[in-house]
Amino acid sequence: MFTYYGRMTPNALDKLRTFFRSNGRMPTFRELARLWGFRSTNAVAKLVRKLTDTGALVRDRAGRLALADPFSSVRLLGAVEAGWPSPAEEELADTMSLDEWLVRNREATFMLKVQGSSMTGAGIMPGDVILVERGAPAREGDIVVAEVDNAWTVKYLRRRSGRMVLEPANEAYKTIIPSGELNIAAVVKAVIRKY
Amino acid sequence: MSRAILHIDGDAFFASCEQARNPELRGKSVITGKERGIAASMSYEAKARGVTRAMPLGQIRQVCPDAVILPSDYETYSLLSKRFFDIVRRWTPDVEEYSIDECFADITGLRRQWRASYRDIAASITDRLAAELGFTFSAGLAPSKVLAKVASKWNKPHGLTVISSRRIAGFLNDLPAGKVWGIGPNTEALLAKHRIMTAGQFARTPFSWVKAHLTKPHREIWYELNGESVLSVSTVQDGPKYSIQKFRTFTPPSRDREFVFAQMSRNIENACIKARRHRMAARGAYFILRSQDFRHTAVEVSLTAPTALTGPIIAAAREALPSLFKEGTAWRATGVVLTDLITDDDRQPDLFGAHVAVERMRRVYEGLDSLDTKYGKHTVWLGSSHLAQVRERHAGERGDLPERQMLALKGENGRRRLAIPMLMGRQAA
Repeated sequence: MFTYYGRMTPNALDKLRTFFRSNGRMPTFRELARLWGFRSTNAVAKLVRKLTDTGALVRDRAGRLALADPFSSVRLLGAVEAGWPSPAEEELADTMSLDEWLVRNREATFMLKVQGSSMTGAGIMPGDVILVERGAPAREGDIVVAEVDNAWTVKYLRRRSGRMVLEPANEAYKTIIPSGELNIAAVVKAVIRKY
Repeated sequence: MSRAILHIDGDAFFASCEQARNPELRGKSVITGKERGIAASMSYEAKARGVTRAMPLGQIRQVCPDAVILPSDYETYSLLSKRFFDIVRRWTPDVEEYSIDECFADITGLRRQWRASYRDIAASITDRLAAELGFTFSAGLAPSKVLAKVASKWNKPHGLTVISSRRIAGFLNDLPAGKVWGIGPNTEALLAKHRIMTAGQFARTPFSWVKAHLTKPHREIWYELNGESVLSVSTVQDGPKYSIQKFRTFTPPSRDREFVFAQMSRNIENACIKARRHRMAARGAYFILRSQDFRHTAVEVSLTAPTALTGPIIAAAREALPSLFKEGTAWRATGVVLTDLITDDDRQPDLFGAHVAVERMRRVYEGLDSLDTKYGKHTVWLGSSHLAQVRERHAGERGDLPERQMLALKGENGRRRLAIPMLMGRQAA
């Protein structure tokens, strides 16, 4: 069952209900301004008036604001206008989480905490966490994690006179030209720095 | 129709998890299980040096002085185990997670979908596992689960062995009957009495004899060895748990009654957390103590009302303690098994009106569980578990933490870490 309270108000009401549920009291006008994104309490008063007019908000005997149905379990999908719903939740189906954005192949993704400054030119700083994908095809120009002398190394994969080499992004470091087979363990997919 | 069953087994799984994330360990004798004082898993290099499963650390240092002995990092192993199963599921939904490092997969009928022979499907699965996880797996392909398990062991590590219906005999003729999955020492001895020494001889024994002398599980093995699949690949993932058990070893062993009880109390807390997570309630419980010389005392109790709340079960354990705990004995482990589980929804309130108080306790535990969800396991604990919580579980070097747990990223803490395995070890300039 939907109750029609007027345009724009379901969202405001939802926020109000959430506040009420988590704090166990109604917000002040100042808090409402923050909640609804208004700069002035005058704008708050206007919307409050509208909500009391439509019956969504009521005033108790002392004149304090109260929700008409504080625990409404109906999730309003936006107001219905001219027969067309504006289904806010359906729109959210086309969004993704940070996880999904950063990780392509979940099973093959590992992290590595970067040591050393050989890739600072590529924006990879010591202490950064990089997300790397094992078993992904490494192409020229990719930043890769290779295994050199029983250690990891993070470098650009480049081709120099017909052979693949590991190139740093910092002039103070030398390009690594592998003597034997180049062992690439993973391809770098993202850098994360948490402050 | 003949089935195509795959059994996939991680090669030296725990040790391989360690070697795959740290190139410094490549080619070295790596052993996990430091915290238990015995080898839990050893790399192929260590196996070649004569290190065997459950060998004590002191002995390992004798036969293999350069061994790298690491504390188990079960968190990382579990993450990689889950990935292992998820990768196999890309090819078929019928995957049975048999243990942390092995699974069965039914790939019957998938040749057309993947435009490949069964052998090629098996090969692509193990190739992707090795490429994405960084260590090798062995696979066996056969018309039944029992034969697939024979096949995966045939050529380890990194092997793929196919047992086709026509070539079964060649694999079973020299295989001791006791090596077959599901044939234990007792059955092996019984078979030996009747001059059945190998899996091949068992498979060729007329079924009338098998029916007369053995029970259903072994009759099934007989069918399976003859290439007829009767054991299906069970895909139930984390389904209903019919019993929940929590065991914990601590070192050094203790003669202290209150400390031992605190260990038991901690196990009960853990078991109850798990029961509540699965919405189960126990009607009975076993309490078990294990002494230093591996003797056990155990008591079974039945609970007045089904419960997943820690309080009543700890009270029952307290009552059982005098018959479990012997003064002067050094104890090394405690355990609890919650039995007779029912789903929490179809519980009946008990007749004496205690359910009001129970309901109140339930709300308390709901609060505790949400604290654990938010801040990690054991954010708060019962006073009865306190001694077990504050004392290091293992004294001395056996108390070493896995390296990953000491390498906290910003925002991680001692209790909660990112669910992504971390590459570790030296980095070259």
